[in-house]
Amino acid sequence: MRLLTHNFLQSNVKGTEKGYPLGIERGAELSVESSPVNRNLVLKMLNKVDYSALVSITNNLREERQEDIPELPPSLPETLEEETIANYHKVLFDVQLVNGFLVCPDTGRKFPVKDGIPNMILHEDEI
Amino acid sequence: MSDQKNEKEDFEYVVLVEFAHKHLDFLLPELLSVLEMNGVIIQQHDKEEEKEEDIDDSKSYCHMLPLPNEERYHQETKAAPQRAFALLAFPSSWYHKGNSHAQLRPEKHTQPPEERQKDPEPSKEEKDKGSSSTKTIASFLSRCVLVRRVIELWGKPGTTIPEMAENTQQWIKDKTSLGATIYHEICHPPTQSWKLTIQTLGAKYTRQEHDDMRANFAFLDFPGKVQMKQPDHEFILIREMELDTQGNPLYPRHGQLQQEHDKSQHQTTIIPQHDQRLPLACYFGRVLWARDKNSMERYDLKNRVYLGPTSMDAELSFVMANLGQVQEDSVVLDPFVGTGSILVSCAIRGAYCVGTDIDIRVLRGKEENIYSNFQQFQLPRPELIRSDNAIYHRHFRTSEPWVDTIVTDPPYGIRAGARKSGSRLDQPRVIPEEHRHDHIPQTKPYCVADVMADLLDVAARALVMGGRMVYVIPSFAKDFNPDEDLPQHDCLTVIHLSFQPFTQDLGRRMVTMKKVHDYDPKMRETYLAKTWKNGPASAEKCANIREKLMEAAKLKPGYEEKSRVRKQKRKEHKEQKKKAKLEINKPQDGQKSEE
Repeated sequence: MRLLTHNFLQSNVKGTEKGYPLGIERGAELSVESSPVNRNLVLKMLNKVDYSALVSITNNLREERQEDIPELPPSLPETLEEETIANYHKVLFDVQLVNGFLVCPDTGRKFPVKDGIPNMILHEDEI
Repeated sequence: MSDQKNEKEDFEYVVLVEFAHKHLDFLLPELLSVLEMNGVIIQQHDKEEEKEEDIDDSKSYCHMLPLPNEERYHQETKAAPQRAFALLAFPSSWYHKGNSHAQLRPEKHTQPPEERQKDPEPSKEEKDKGSSSTKTIASFLSRCVLVRRVIELWGKPGTTIPEMAENTQQWIKDKTSLGATIYHEICHPPTQSWKLTIQTLGAKYTRQEHDDMRANFAFLDFPGKVQMKQPDHEFILIREMELDTQGNPLYPRHGQLQQEHDKSQHQTTIIPQHDQRLPLACYFGRVLWARDKNSMERYDLKNRVYLGPTSMDAELSFVMANLGQVQEDSVVLDPFVGTGSILVSCAIRGAYCVGTDIDIRVLRGKEENIYSNFQQFQLPRPELIRSDNAIYHRHFRTSEPWVDTIVTDPPYGIRAGARKSGSRLDQPRVIPEEHRHDHIPQTKPYCVADVMADLLDVAARALVMGGRMVYVIPSFAKDFNPDEDLPQHDCLTVIHLSFQPFTQDLGRRMVTMKKVHDYDPKMRETYLAKTWKNGPASAEKCANIREKLMEAAKLKPGYEEKSRVRKQKRKEHKEQKKKAKLEINKPQDGQKSEE
């Protein structure tokens, strides 16, 4: 599961107002790939992401994997250098959550991620 | 740029599109979608003058010309509903946009990058749609899976071969026309090789007869040598006859006579009254692009690693990608991803793919899974999420539409029934906290009318404005009014509808919708309530076909017997499986599993 996907997912168990952004429980298994930078897609998706959620999850993951995950500017710069675009590509598409848990910020409900597939299905008493 | 604008476009560069004779109802929708995706709009011929003001500078325009003898064709009641040809007239300037003989080669050879004259540099507005500056007619039409050849037409089509030849001769001699220029380019330098292929749809002719047809074009007299394999230019003469839906001739040239004394011996004879019929049309031109017969084979389903009972066949999934205008960097969602067969085609077109499903077993697979299908073609992994379309808005942040195209084959219960989250009990049992982490959420059956209502609602929320959804829906050929019986949503409008017949009565429709209005979350209940215009009656027509097929099957003679045999087989299979399982478990918990 890429961080781009993380940016669009939310928890909405019964009684939750916002459920966003989801946390990633410490100790999760991450993989960081090096795919070729897709400039167009990065620019297109930067318009769609919730920027503060992207920065905060990146900072959280950097606590454990500082060497692999680039730091992002706290707010989206007006003009983007090629290097910055490459960093956004890395964070959005190359950092992948393989095994671990997504955590609802309001209720603490955990959504398991197994082999890269998050299971967002709610239990029958949460709908 | 201003020169371009002031010069009146002439629409003299005519291209003949030859389609494969199948999926007839899909031919034009696919063609139109691909043209539009490449910024080419088909302009109505007669409205040209009054629409002058609407002309958008960033788009190119072309005309669709009527095929010869349309009236005669429509009088044939048994003929296929659609001829496998289309005539498109482009402005002459398209010829100069790199439309040289370099394009004769198959699609893998890239064309020389030629800047489109209309937009010298990609503007900022283009950042989303991508620049179309290197596109040529052949390069984008070749994306249509159902297009077989793209032919530069040399002169007005004729009804007979001599008439066509006459038109060609005029075309290359007229110094004011594009024809003279093109002809000159093929003669200079004089070393360019060529060949002339003859295609007589639905009729066989002898070698001698072919030579006689060729003789009509002797005036071409190209200086280069004739070369059968990989010539610089391939010319083609097509003789079109009336075909039926299956692609068989309505008036076959040959009939079979059965010998009185030996029933196994057939003799073919020419049927004179058919042979003497005038062709529907004759076309002559230069082949700009031709589909390699094996081009689809590597994507064939039987060569896929991970398959399910409802995988979409490769050809149609590419058609779906085209109807959805999927291109480089499109974001594509399949909310019933299954084995991912439709997404594979979209990824091959360069899309970023996301698949969701409620069934964790298909998402994960066993030895093979969806990822294997992507790895097989060296495609980036799609994003997979287990989620429920009935509550999409609770899984996904909905403040920002983020999907360019939705392509999907929803479960209609024929081969795989749908499920949604929730308990079958009215009052679900509360799960104790200590069990929550490994609790398996319950799902309940999901009726097709609701599946569709939710799907349209997902599309209305997730799609960007102008984004498309393409889905398939089984339905009966008759007693179906698309305006009333298809599911509807205030934010979406149907733009293409194609019917693919399976049997005489049953088929499936491929529906292409476009998002035309912003989604208002407060309106959700209203949207959902308006899905079926005629209420349950409409839903019943499109959906629940499983039950109808079952009922029809029961009425067939011998059903009881067949069903008994099947039941018996299932029972045996189950018992065998049980036995095998016991065998494996024996050593571990010996006595317990004996019973």
